[in-house]
Amino acid sequence: MSSGEKNLQSGEVPRILKFLTSAALCLGWVSQTQAEDHNSEPSLDQVWTYATTSQPIEARNILDDLEGLDPRVETLAHTVLDMSRAPLSETQWADIEPVLAELAQGDDEVAARALYLQARMYQIQQLKPDYVRSTELYLELNQRWPGSHWSQLGLVKLGLVKLYALPEPLDVEERFTEVDALLAQITEPTLRRDLHLQMAWAGLFHQRQLDDVLPHLIAADKIGGMMGITPEDVMIQIGELSFRAGHLEQSKQYFERFLREVPSNNKRYNVRMRLKEVDDALAEQEGAK
Amino acid sequence: MKKGGQKKQWGLLLFALAYLFACYWVFTKSTPLTNDREITIRIAHWQIELGPPDGIQAAIDRYEELNPNVRVKQVMVPGTVYRQWMRANFAGNSAPDIVEYGAWLDGLADLPVRYFDPLTEDLMQPNPYNKGTELEGMPWLKTFTDELMEQRLNSPEPGQYYAATLTRGSLRLFVNRDLLKEITGSSERVEDFEGMRRIFKQTAAYSQREGRKILPLGGSKDNAIWIMSFYAGGVTNKYNRTLDDYGFLGMYPWQTQWKYLNQEWDYQTPGIMAAFKILDELDKQMPLGYMSFLRDEAVRQFMRGEALFIFAGTWEATSLRRLAEFPVDAWRCPQPTTSDPVVGEHMLGHYADGNVSTSFGLYLNKRSPHREVAVDFLRFITSKEGNQLFTDKSGWLPSIKEVSVAPEIASFISPEDGYTYPGSNISVGGGTRSVFQKNLHLMTGPEGSIDNFAAAMDRDMPKAVRSSLAVYERSARWAVLPQDSRVIAYGGLLENNPGDAALLLGQQRLEAAQNLSEARALMIARQLELTADFGKN
Repeated sequence: MSSGEKNLQSGEVPRILKFLTSAALCLGWVSQTQAEDHNSEPSLDQVWTYATTSQPIEARNILDDLEGLDPRVETLAHTVLDMSRAPLSETQWADIEPVLAELAQGDDEVAARALYLQARMYQIQQLKPDYVRSTELYLELNQRWPGSHWSQLGLVKLGLVKLYALPEPLDVEERFTEVDALLAQITEPTLRRDLHLQMAWAGLFHQRQLDDVLPHLIAADKIGGMMGITPEDVMIQIGELSFRAGHLEQSKQYFERFLREVPSNNKRYNVRMRLKEVDDALAEQEGAK
Repeated sequence: MKKGGQKKQWGLLLFALAYLFACYWVFTKSTPLTNDREITIRIAHWQIELGPPDGIQAAIDRYEELNPNVRVKQVMVPGTVYRQWMRANFAGNSAPDIVEYGAWLDGLADLPVRYFDPLTEDLMQPNPYNKGTELEGMPWLKTFTDELMEQRLNSPEPGQYYAATLTRGSLRLFVNRDLLKEITGSSERVEDFEGMRRIFKQTAAYSQREGRKILPLGGSKDNAIWIMSFYAGGVTNKYNRTLDDYGFLGMYPWQTQWKYLNQEWDYQTPGIMAAFKILDELDKQMPLGYMSFLRDEAVRQFMRGEALFIFAGTWEATSLRRLAEFPVDAWRCPQPTTSDPVVGEHMLGHYADGNVSTSFGLYLNKRSPHREVAVDFLRFITSKEGNQLFTDKSGWLPSIKEVSVAPEIASFISPEDGYTYPGSNISVGGGTRSVFQKNLHLMTGPEGSIDNFAAAMDRDMPKAVRSSLAVYERSARWAVLPQDSRVIAYGGLLENNPGDAALLLGQQRLEAAQNLSEARALMIARQLELTADFGKN
């Protein structure tokens, strides 16, 4: 029997193997440690960064490792991550809403954000929206933190609900008067733009006069910064609706701008053909003078 | 110590050394032992038909020549399992560095924001691989023929660009040139649908005279639906324009559906019934029972010389041309004109037959360990040189400006010469196509009539349209829900980093995107509510 066989039979491990196994484990440990060293110190910003990119698991891993956080911030962060896997079940909703309600009692930035989220819970995060309660909360937010970003964003959301979701008021103009009042309180240009745009589109949905719709489209276009295909659509809309409303010069101006600024769009031919009609109408108008 | 024991000791030592080396490799390296290049990236797609894999490989080969430390591997996944494959690989953190994706892939709407990295900032910079060409110095975004229109329409986050595209496509009528000449005496394209009617008649006469069964069109369910949608869309352009009360000079599917439920149009409207006349004519040019065939069968009919034409997207062109034993031409589809004897009065004019927007979108895996290299490869394959290699070897059109188009595919490009007013058609999104398929025989069968067919469409459509519109509403609403967390997270970041312009822009974009989706969801919910009783009886 060789010593190796003996060792195997007796269960003894050759010394060299013991050494190498330990070395391998050390090597593994060292490389793991090095890998960890590559990561920077965990921070709240990392939590929020992961949350902005829909990576709640990574965000929570870091949040769990953070020490010394303000308990209110920590609670809000946990709640935000809980909400990121929407849609929420009824149980989740019932767990989250009271936490937000409690946080909203404070008078800091956390409270404003919590109150905004609480309103969102009633407006959109439950299967059957409670628009009455969400409206109360948006108005409370606006009263307690007037002019804050969260209050203004809340007013936009409230405007959307009034434009589309609420059956009352039946009178369309009354509906728009109420939303106009919200718009007047919003000062952030991008949020004003968003509400202007929706007021225009809702105006078309509710079949308002084109001259009531066009100013909102033009205002949204002037603020600019719209994204995706929307700015192209808005240019076409202003051109076309102006044509229909008889504002031929305005129509021409927007159609020409579209053709100049948007070199590739499936509707360019439609626009070119329509622009010919506008030009013909303008020539006719000129001839009549 | 005995000799045998020594041998075993050495054996154990060697084993242990190999084990140690393996441990070292596993913990410190991620590339195979045999790889002589430092970095390997993978690109996955489902374009496994003839052509595209060759085009991509040609670009890869050249890229590897230029970058000796990089290996690029092409991962080809059949379209039938692509969605499941993507979901599993992203969840398991084993997805390739670059993947093909399309916004229209069902059930994957949550993937882009979670797993893809935007390319917006990269696209604003010039593509270094265009140095020395007409595109030098031009922002990468501007080098695409459509400046990435599909991303403007369907970006996972409006305002962000997530993909670089490789090609563009159109719908064409592929023709067996030799057979056409044999039947008609000419291989020239006919100008309009009246010309097609003449060919239909000549084919029937030839078939009878020669005792050889030849039909004008290869037929299968897919090809039939494509050609019928194309012609119906052209005929309904004029009517659809009258439905455009938003002034978009076109309609989105959710608008068409809402207007149907709101009873602003139906299938018994003359402007739409006219389209059915054309469909009835087309039906007679395809083999009996075509709705039960898969598209491969239509290709076989064409290859065997039993069908003179096959209508398909240009994505089929390379396969058709490589497999056919006769010359295949690609015609722009001859259209009915405003003086057409059957549908002329309903025609607005020539209609669009090609996509302006580019496609074959390649997205970047957010967790790619080699982001810079992956972006660099995307830059190369969409540079003038890289895209030229792709188009030359694939037979697909390029997506990049100034890339030469081979004469045999030049006819795939449609000039800007046609109206496009989408709207009422044989299907209007979601599951509405099945209503058309189910009822088509009421028009084309032995006792069929256009009236019967139109009435049946109006009997069955309301439920399908409602269901499709409800899906739009749900998708828009569900897209909004997780955005609340992200909006608040931006708030957290901005509290710690006030004045950070990039963060502020990110927050504004996200809020604007959410406002757009949310308003749409609310509006559609209202539309569904207002039309709840329509079609119930």
